[in-house]
Amino acid sequence: MLAQSTQPVISIKNFSMKFGSKRVIDDMSFDVHKGETFGFLGSNGSGKTTTMRALLGIYQATSGTLHINGKKFEPQDGATLGYLPEERGLYKKESVIDVMTYFGQLKGLGKREAREWSLDYLKRVKLEDKAKSKVDKLSGGQQQKVQLGVTIMNNPDVLILDEPTKGFDPVNRRLLMDIVEAQREKGATIILITHDMSEVERLCDRLILLKDGTKAAYGTVPEVLEKFQKHTMDEVFLQVYGEDAAMQEGEE
Amino acid sequence: MASRHNLGTVVSFEFWRTIKKPSFWVATLSFPVMIGLIFGIIFYSSHIGQESSSQLAQEKFTINYLDESDIVLPTVAQNFEATEIDDKQQGIEAVKTGSIDAFFFYPQTLEQPLEVYGKDAGLFDNGKYSAVAEQMLKTSAAASIANPELVNVTQGAISSEVTTYKEDGEQSAGWMAAIPPLLFLVLFYFTIAMLGNNLLNSTVEEKENRVTEMILTTLNPTILIVGKLLATFLAGAVQALVMFAPAIAAYFILGAETVNLPNADILSNLVVDPTAIIIGGLIMIGGLMVFTGTLVAIGAVMPTAKEAGQYFGIAILIMFVPFYIIMLILSDPEALVVQIFTYFPYTAPVTAMLRNAFGSLSIADAAVVISSLAILGTFIILLAVRLFRYGAMQYDSRLSLNALRSKKR
Repeated sequence: MLAQSTQPVISIKNFSMKFGSKRVIDDMSFDVHKGETFGFLGSNGSGKTTTMRALLGIYQATSGTLHINGKKFEPQDGATLGYLPEERGLYKKESVIDVMTYFGQLKGLGKREAREWSLDYLKRVKLEDKAKSKVDKLSGGQQQKVQLGVTIMNNPDVLILDEPTKGFDPVNRRLLMDIVEAQREKGATIILITHDMSEVERLCDRLILLKDGTKAAYGTVPEVLEKFQKHTMDEVFLQVYGEDAAMQEGEE
Repeated sequence: MASRHNLGTVVSFEFWRTIKKPSFWVATLSFPVMIGLIFGIIFYSSHIGQESSSQLAQEKFTINYLDESDIVLPTVAQNFEATEIDDKQQGIEAVKTGSIDAFFFYPQTLEQPLEVYGKDAGLFDNGKYSAVAEQMLKTSAAASIANPELVNVTQGAISSEVTTYKEDGEQSAGWMAAIPPLLFLVLFYFTIAMLGNNLLNSTVEEKENRVTEMILTTLNPTILIVGKLLATFLAGAVQALVMFAPAIAAYFILGAETVNLPNADILSNLVVDPTAIIIGGLIMIGGLMVFTGTLVAIGAVMPTAKEAGQYFGIAILIMFVPFYIIMLILSDPEALVVQIFTYFPYTAPVTAMLRNAFGSLSIADAAVVISSLAILGTFIILLAVRLFRYGAMQYDSRLSLNALRSKKR
């Protein structure tokens, strides 16, 4: 596990969020340290995406402070942040290389640099022959690969990945997680929002598990397993959500 | 510095992808192509018509005529190889039997129509009979007037120069002064009519493509919206260039008469009043801010381009409303309706630009209109940015006021 500095890269204190009269998050606090891979877990609708949107200034928190590198996030800090949102999409009628170059430029790269980086990345994920294809001609999985490329462009210090492997087959899931691990080795701080507990056990230094807008578990993987007296994170998840999770699965 | 860099990146990306769309070129080229086709047809018809007229004029046919008006001169009739007879019925019968081609009857008083009888030569060629009958009469009438100037008067070849004076005794420039500021109205109308829909679609596109969250964490939404507006105006400039370049090129290559444009004399007679030009330009900028800001705001609230597109027609309709009272605007600018239209933000640009062009908008009125459009336009653009920021997260539904209140930053 990577060493942690005292100054957290991400600091969330007493964060609460309400939509109308509905309270989604209730007085939640946690820190994420430099170089850490942090698992952000919870069932559907538990407030994970809302927390990330509030952290990134897309939503305004009802109360509390949410800081990245000691201050509230502003879009101009986007050059040092990579965010793969839950709602995925790219400019569908543009070519893959044009879209990637555009985002690269927005993240502070020069046009040529962004283009070259994009072509290298497409080669790495075996999409080099799709560079000039329109985005909407790509399969869903191929589009996700492109979007992950856009997210990790310019080697961001902080990566927030909301279910990065959703919808991937095992081969491509491994390929993408290798890319994420490579970013971690470069020193990136990563928040990983996922339902895949094996990914959590393999990658995460620490985690938080949300239930009903509050943290049901918080700590390193061994600490959480110890606390719940379980052998796997799957078992912890099932214990925390119990029948709720089974019902959700049944509904799906 | 980064913001400026990103603004350039957004403008470049939005501009190039706009002009790379086939629909942009279809819309842009359809106008000059249509105009070209119309002019081509007119030119061709006119050319064919002239050729036919020449052929018809040279075509000889036998004519009898009876002149009770005593206007047709025998010498003129002789030139047309027409023979005078004294019995109308006989002339008609001769045509019927085919012994002559045509018979013209000129009644005693020309308040009654000329009677022209001819051998059927087909739908188009039958016109030659009345043409020759009328020409015989006109030539005879002109020959009867000794003074050539009087002949010109009877043929309507007269022109007049009108000079009018304002209340302070200064000479009024009339249409020549109205045309330059009116060009801003034309520019305003074309920009909104041709690119407004594009702007609307462009705004709703981030939401439709689910790309909003990535954009909002990379780019200040104000820069994105301003970038889209600038890219739209640049695309508009390209459209204007493509549309008018052929006409301008033809003007200089073929000459004014060939392309039926005002000749250099008329252009040099245009009166350019710097005050009216500046006011017209500022009203246009204010109007563009209000209308484009409104279109962006609509795009930010609506979930799909299709739904947003329904509101574009309304915007165009509102913009067009002042033209329904154009005569009132020109003749009675102090009328209550005109005053309301001058200051209501969505009718103000067209009404104020018309009044400015025709000299009925005082500098004080103009200052009020320009400043209110600028203030409101800025407010609408800021509101549009806010709506974009929050409406962009409403992927499948319109942004409600409640949602806006609960998510406000």
